[in-house]
Amino acid sequence: MNAPTRQPDADIRELSYSEAIREAMGLALERDERVVLMGEDIGVYGGAFQVTGDLVERFGADRVMDTPISELGGAGVAVGAALTGLRPIYEFQFSDFAALAMEQIVNQAAKMRYMLGGEASVPVVFRMPAGSGTGAAAQHSQSFEAWFGHVPGLKVVQPSTPEDAKGLLLAALEDPDPVVMFEHKLLYKMKGHVPEGWYTTPIGKSAIRRHGKDVTIVASAIMVHRALAAAEKLAGEGIEVEIIDLRSVRPIDGDAIIGSVKKTGRLLCVYEGVRTLGIGAEISAMIAESEAFDFLDAPVLRLGGAEAPIPYNPDLEKAAVPQIPDIESAARRLARREV
Amino acid sequence: MPTEVILPKVDMDMDAGLLAQWHVATGEHVEKGAALFDIETDKAAMEVEAPASGIVGHIVAEAGSRIPVGQVVAWIYAENEEIPDLPPGGTISGDTGAAEQEAGRNEVAEVPQPTAPAARGSDEAGAENDSGSPRPRATPAARAAARKSGVDLGRVAGSGPKGRIQADDVMRQQPVSSGPAAVAGLSEAAPPVDWAENQRPLAMTRRKGRAKGHPILLIHGFAADASGWAPLEKALGDAREIIRIELPCHGRSPLVRIGSFREFTRMMVRAFDDLDVAQLHLVGHSLGGAVAAAIADIRPRRIASLSLISPAGLGPEIDGATLYGIARATRTDSLAPWLKRLAARPDAISHDFAKAAMMARMEPELRAAQVELADMLFPDGTQSFDLSAAMARVDTPFKIVWGRQDRILPWRHALRAPDVAGLHLLDKAGHIPHIERPEAVALPLLENFRTGEIPVQQR
Amino acid sequence: MSDDNRPFAIRKYDAARLRDALRKMYLIRFFEEGAEDSYMRGLIHGTMHLSIGQEASAVASCIGLTDEDKITSTHRGHGHCISKGAEVGRMFAEFFGKEEGYCHGRGGSMHIADVTKGNLGANGIVGGGLPIAVGAGLTAKRLNTGAVAICFFGDGANNEGAFHEALNMAAIWKLPVVFICENNKYGMSTSTERSTAVKNIAERAVAYAMPGHTVDGNDFSAVAETVETAIARARAGEGPSLIENLTYRWRGHSKSDRNRYRTKQEIDEWIARDPIQRFRKELIEHAILDESEAEKVATEARQEVEAGIEFAKSGTAPRVSDLARYVYAEENA
Ligand SMILES: Cc1ncc(C[n+]2csc(CCOP(=O)(O)OP(=O)(O)O)c2C)c(N)n1
Ligand SMILES: [Mg+2]
Repeated sequence: MNAPTRQPDADIRELSYSEAIREAMGLALERDERVVLMGEDIGVYGGAFQVTGDLVERFGADRVMDTPISELGGAGVAVGAALTGLRPIYEFQFSDFAALAMEQIVNQAAKMRYMLGGEASVPVVFRMPAGSGTGAAAQHSQSFEAWFGHVPGLKVVQPSTPEDAKGLLLAALEDPDPVVMFEHKLLYKMKGHVPEGWYTTPIGKSAIRRHGKDVTIVASAIMVHRALAAAEKLAGEGIEVEIIDLRSVRPIDGDAIIGSVKKTGRLLCVYEGVRTLGIGAEISAMIAESEAFDFLDAPVLRLGGAEAPIPYNPDLEKAAVPQIPDIESAARRLARREV
Repeated sequence: MPTEVILPKVDMDMDAGLLAQWHVATGEHVEKGAALFDIETDKAAMEVEAPASGIVGHIVAEAGSRIPVGQVVAWIYAENEEIPDLPPGGTISGDTGAAEQEAGRNEVAEVPQPTAPAARGSDEAGAENDSGSPRPRATPAARAAARKSGVDLGRVAGSGPKGRIQADDVMRQQPVSSGPAAVAGLSEAAPPVDWAENQRPLAMTRRKGRAKGHPILLIHGFAADASGWAPLEKALGDAREIIRIELPCHGRSPLVRIGSFREFTRMMVRAFDDLDVAQLHLVGHSLGGAVAAAIADIRPRRIASLSLISPAGLGPEIDGATLYGIARATRTDSLAPWLKRLAARPDAISHDFAKAAMMARMEPELRAAQVELADMLFPDGTQSFDLSAAMARVDTPFKIVWGRQDRILPWRHALRAPDVAGLHLLDKAGHIPHIERPEAVALPLLENFRTGEIPVQQR
Repeated sequence: MSDDNRPFAIRKYDAARLRDALRKMYLIRFFEEGAEDSYMRGLIHGTMHLSIGQEASAVASCIGLTDEDKITSTHRGHGHCISKGAEVGRMFAEFFGKEEGYCHGRGGSMHIADVTKGNLGANGIVGGGLPIAVGAGLTAKRLNTGAVAICFFGDGANNEGAFHEALNMAAIWKLPVVFICENNKYGMSTSTERSTAVKNIAERAVAYAMPGHTVDGNDFSAVAETVETAIARARAGEGPSLIENLTYRWRGHSKSDRNRYRTKQEIDEWIARDPIQRFRKELIEHAILDESEAEKVATEARQEVEAGIEFAKSGTAPRVSDLARYVYAEENA
């Protein structure tokens, strides 16, 4: 009997990260009348990073709404609409500008359900293009994941692959609470397999991107890819790195990290946000408090952004956030017990 | 009237010091000027000498405690003076600090005070600890493993940075399975143990140095392992990198069948070549001393200095009974009497010391391999190899340190060493001066290293 | 006086001043063309926002200022910068990420500032400069320096909360601030018709009880006159004004703009209304200079820009070890 032949491209359909997000938004707009997109220049312009693209042509300007340059107002309108029955996705042109809308996100959206004793729900999604590497300097390159992760009532996700970008956005849409999704600008063009149709990637669950026994690296967003590249090099030296893609900053997948550290005894946290008081601090503390503590065979290391704004000069900009060689050498030093 | 011994102020801005270790026990005789105890401050570690000759009647401060300057720590009584039951001023406990006693219970509390030489952490952990507590530097995983297996961290040599004890440093100190070993110990004639060779490279661990200078390579003796270097490493300080290679059939090195001393040496030279270090200071003890001399002969240009501690290879005599006794012992009670022969003062080897030593030798295969090795190297209790010619060719700074009370290899063998070798004969030391009197061994070694680092023309 | 029908600027400023204004307009134009060219050659990273077509608004708004007076600028700020006296060499050096740049290579195009000349900086945040200008006005009033603060912002910025909060405070405290909205019809892709409830942004002045003027922003003299009036009012302690300069950016919003929101025809119409040509013609008409002198001004500006690019290219790269320098005062040393 012949073996059943596989459809050649049944499951290898590839989309870019931004196409995957657009597909998710398109599915949502098709499936649910209550879904509206809001943001600056998301209509004919297609979004500053061409993420919304042609959605305005498919769904019209009533559902793909260009807002004035009014972040506080725009985000607040989205919150109010979510509170009263719509399912808005608000796109910040750059995550940096969320600073202008902190009030509505942090003081209003995040706390509404609680303040009202569970009687209200704010199912809004904030999309945030984030990160450095584009030469846009200090006010257009920041990584605020930890800021928002510090706010109970918000959920914060940070996909690293096209598949997760779509899955997490759909999960965010289904979620009854406000979700902030950080999209790394340098990932928008990255291609990868994206399943068809509606599916969700669970919020609060990490993914193991590589298995290894020597060192655990917890990374998020673009750092996952840098860590993978570093791990590849280290494998040639006999160092086996396990890579956990955090995916969600809040809630954080403690069990997976603790489990991995129990296995490897060594932990390196890699994230782009400023190192101090960042995601790595939380993960380190979590490990110190957990049963994984007894399995630690080296200090926990953090690689994060420099204690400085993102500089303009390209060399300085690179030096301001972890790069592949940084990850490689930190993991190597851990594995070789040099720290 | 007994003479009081106080904790002296040895440092300008010192108000208390860690009484690190006693060199004498209650009831012992001391000569005025002999080393009485070690103290450590934030900046220094030093020996305090006996202020009078006589009997140490009372020791009132425990090793490991932090004592205010000026406080009485012991009383020395004249030879014919009557020693009362209680010391004149009562006992003091020092302040190890409740928290540390709690946390360090499994490591520190079991340390055989006051005489066990390897009682403390493998490096300057104590000195760096503000409280002065001699807690070994160890990872959480190593501590957990030690707790579980009852291994005394104070006896484990750390392979991590600054001598930090890693989990696997502890693992190799613990029995692979305690069951069969215990059973084997019960039967009068243990059946011969089969063991298989394995082809791993020799075990090597390194501790980074703080300053420049050539690394120090340490080669231990028969039936020992790298952990035995801990006291000497501490005494040598952390300026230079320390590298330890474990002999075949020892410690974490593989078990192999070796036909000759030459073959044995060849394996070590291979490991030495793998180090990829331009020049280093070579230090060997006993059998390791003979191996070191052989390496120095084969790789003269890579040796900055040679230091041998009670080295083998300088005469036929050796206490074969002790070698076999140690190699064969299956439990602490049979090991301890042999170990006592290693030291100048038998009571230097406490029960706990022996227990820890036994822990490291619980694998029957390892013991069997060592017995075979002893058969080959020391047939009929005789040293089958002679390195006096090799030593005669050494032209780097060269020192030999030997204990006067060595009962395994008589120190008079040293007289067969070439005249270029400086000889340091230590009193109150047996076959393991680096454990019994680490500071006294470190002194000539460090001098040797320094000379070895001066360019030849300027020496 | 009243029988002098010549344009305000011609009446008010001497020939040297007017020639310098023309020079600055050319400098802005050539600087931005040079930046664009360098970008296309891969010499510059990041993006940039060009103000080609808006030169009259920048230069005329600053012609009456001293180094004591402050300006706050925007992401589209090269023109303001040059108007306030910046050297193109150091501006290029900033573009090239060099230590010789105005921000030592840390800031790039969007953050060029020259505090010594009263230029408090471009801004990456739309509307970011508005409250800051009000703060500068507060300082001037408290310390009685007689200085004014000119606050440049775009039409898009007038929909930020900061705009409304800033205008209100400047008004209630009667601060010496002149708010200059450079209305180039679009905030990125969004036209003022779609983004702004009022037809003319100057109408918003009413809500904050200050004078509001809508001006042809490509008419040098008209801008100079309106701003001059507002400055005089500010210096006299009578409070802020809101001026709307109607103008147009010829280029896309930034390097990623595909111009899908406006027509070719619209762009061409505005290019025909080149503010530099218009001012140059005016100067020649009123015999401030002749054709060949005007050409000389242009040529010299071009040369200055070319020299500036060479200066920048040969600049020094910041040391990576200085990454965290300038984060705090003590790191400045
Ligand atoms: C707070 C904020 N929101 C959005 C942006 C992105 N952005 C930069 S310039 C711009 C358009 C600004 O329009 P306008 O104020 O009219 O100035 P113009 O670009 O037309 O000179 C936008 C949306 C930003 N930099 N800051
Ligand atoms: Mg505009």
